[in-house]
Amino acid sequence: MGGAREAVARIGEGPDVVTGEGAPAASAPAGRTSAGWKVLPIVEGLVLLIALVLPWVLQDYLTVFATRVVILALFALSFDLVWGYAGIMSFGQALFFGAAGYGVALMARDLNVTSILLILPAGTLIGLTASLLLGGFLLLGRYPSSVIFVSLGTLTGSYAADRLARGWYYLGGQNGIPSIPPLTLGSYEFEEGPVYYYMVLGILVVTYLLCRFLVRSQFGLALAGLRENEQRIAFFGYKAQHLKAIVFAIGGTIAGLAGSLYAFHEGFVWPNMLGVVFSTQVVLYVLFGGSGTLIGAVIGTVIIEGVSFWLSDNYRDVWPIILGVLLLLVIMFRPLGLISFVLGERERVGSFGKEPGKGPSKAAKKEAGNAAP
Amino acid sequence: MASTFAAVFEIVSFGAIIVLVVLGLGIIASMMGIFNFAQGEFVLLGAYVTYLAYAHGAPVWVGMVAAPFVVGAIGFVLEALIIRRFYAAPIVAMLGTYALGLIIRESVRGLIGGFYLTVPEPIGGSIDLGSVHISAWRFTIIVITLLVMGGCYLLLSRTSFGLRVRATLENPALARASGISTPLIYGATFAFGAALAGLAGALIVPVFSLFADLGIRFLIQGFVAVMVGGVGSFIGPVAGAGVIGTLSAALPWVMSPVVADVLVFVLAIAFIKFRPQGLIAGKGV
Repeated sequence: MGGAREAVARIGEGPDVVTGEGAPAASAPAGRTSAGWKVLPIVEGLVLLIALVLPWVLQDYLTVFATRVVILALFALSFDLVWGYAGIMSFGQALFFGAAGYGVALMARDLNVTSILLILPAGTLIGLTASLLLGGFLLLGRYPSSVIFVSLGTLTGSYAADRLARGWYYLGGQNGIPSIPPLTLGSYEFEEGPVYYYMVLGILVVTYLLCRFLVRSQFGLALAGLRENEQRIAFFGYKAQHLKAIVFAIGGTIAGLAGSLYAFHEGFVWPNMLGVVFSTQVVLYVLFGGSGTLIGAVIGTVIIEGVSFWLSDNYRDVWPIILGVLLLLVIMFRPLGLISFVLGERERVGSFGKEPGKGPSKAAKKEAGNAAP
Repeated sequence: MASTFAAVFEIVSFGAIIVLVVLGLGIIASMMGIFNFAQGEFVLLGAYVTYLAYAHGAPVWVGMVAAPFVVGAIGFVLEALIIRRFYAAPIVAMLGTYALGLIIRESVRGLIGGFYLTVPEPIGGSIDLGSVHISAWRFTIIVITLLVMGGCYLLLSRTSFGLRVRATLENPALARASGISTPLIYGATFAFGAALAGLAGALIVPVFSLFADLGIRFLIQGFVAVMVGGVGSFIGPVAGAGVIGTLSAALPWVMSPVVADVLVFVLAIAFIKFRPQGLIAGKGV
């Protein structure tokens, strides 16, 4: 158990040391951070800037498309939190996305509720409830669940929900629920277009900042530990299963929010939204962009959806094949996604607590940690 | 009485199909620890090979005999090129095989278009038992499934190849030290699993017809069956497949099909939660 003892020695150094060590790839080059400036805020700023000016540049129908991408990016964020940070393979993230979508669609159809002040909390709540139930069932219990069980369990849940929605007449069967009225705020109606775009973008930015705060907090530190070595985290006295259930519920909540926005933006919901199609799509976004960085999820969504939209006129049949090949290449040769081309390993793992540059450098601390008996 | 018999036949024949599909999945999962998301696409490839042979004028059974060999060869190549890199990490293996499956599925979709292509049964007609008529081809599938099951069992438990496979599963380092080429064994096992999937696809294509999402339909059912049966042995997944296949064919006779469909999955997941080792625990055959 030399590894564990080493870790104990390291944790004495303060929280910012241990994560760097826990990552198996900690020996990777430090990236471009040595110059003193960081890549991540620059990338984030650039993405935000582009997102802000987009509606002025794009034609209207493209703004509608961009809105959809922003909502999907929100969805991707939820998966990234669960997989990229906590290492829970949720192959059924669409369950929460679609459940919230169906829930708010039913509210609009049967109860005539379209106020944004009711719809978004309701969708969020549905996502939270569903993920608490499923996550509680799959993750909690006397014995820790295996990674395989959790991933197949979520996948099965999503598939079963898809089948249920297809067969249930009340939910519209194969066709889903069409013609959902627009979201309203008082007497104002959110139509597709720039207003909807900026609203969704605002929600994405706020959620992003909350997630960013979360993964850079002590909680995020524990999550990173979970991902890298669950047993070690358990030895430190954390309730690993509880941590997992909590982050799973947070992910489900965000997915629910995204699902309700998506339902009202598209104007209809259909069984695919619950099922394996969307569940795997979100996995593709995050893997492609770079799991374990929040911005990677957003970038992956934008690139995949953007290229798919661009190619859909001429190369519709070939695109899924290209996507598969690209994905395979990324998994084999760039497991940290496209973002790893510009982002160094050290910055991806991030620092917790103290700012780098204050106090002794990380490398020095690493040395000290290794030297400790 | 006659209708009961017909129902039982339906249930058994669907169970046999699920067992046939799960055999390869189970062998790869148990002997290599990989949940192969591309397995559904191997089934699809088997069906496609059969269709190709038929479309080029050969008798259907020629395609059916060729399918396992062709798909097995494809599996062997894919293992050597791609799957081999994923052994260390089961989740990465899932994602990698998923990507592989996506490529195969979409390629086949591009080749056949969005159509449902039918392939005739090589043994048509029905077997008459008094007032009951059962499909001769479905009966043949049951028989072949039993034969293949028995053959796999004997292969793994009685031959030296089976011994090597089990040794590699049990303790790879010791197997290598004893002079067993574990990479070759892994390659052969994967190819064997793929070949079984190809055979399954070839046999079921007359029943379900050929369409691009043929494999996906069985994939999740197959995974659930493997988990229910228990990963690590040969018998486990087969038993799980029998249970899942029988349940999903039998429940719609007593309740609404929609509820039955979902109930099977819910029951299965609950079962796995409380008995993670599955129906039949333990490693080996």
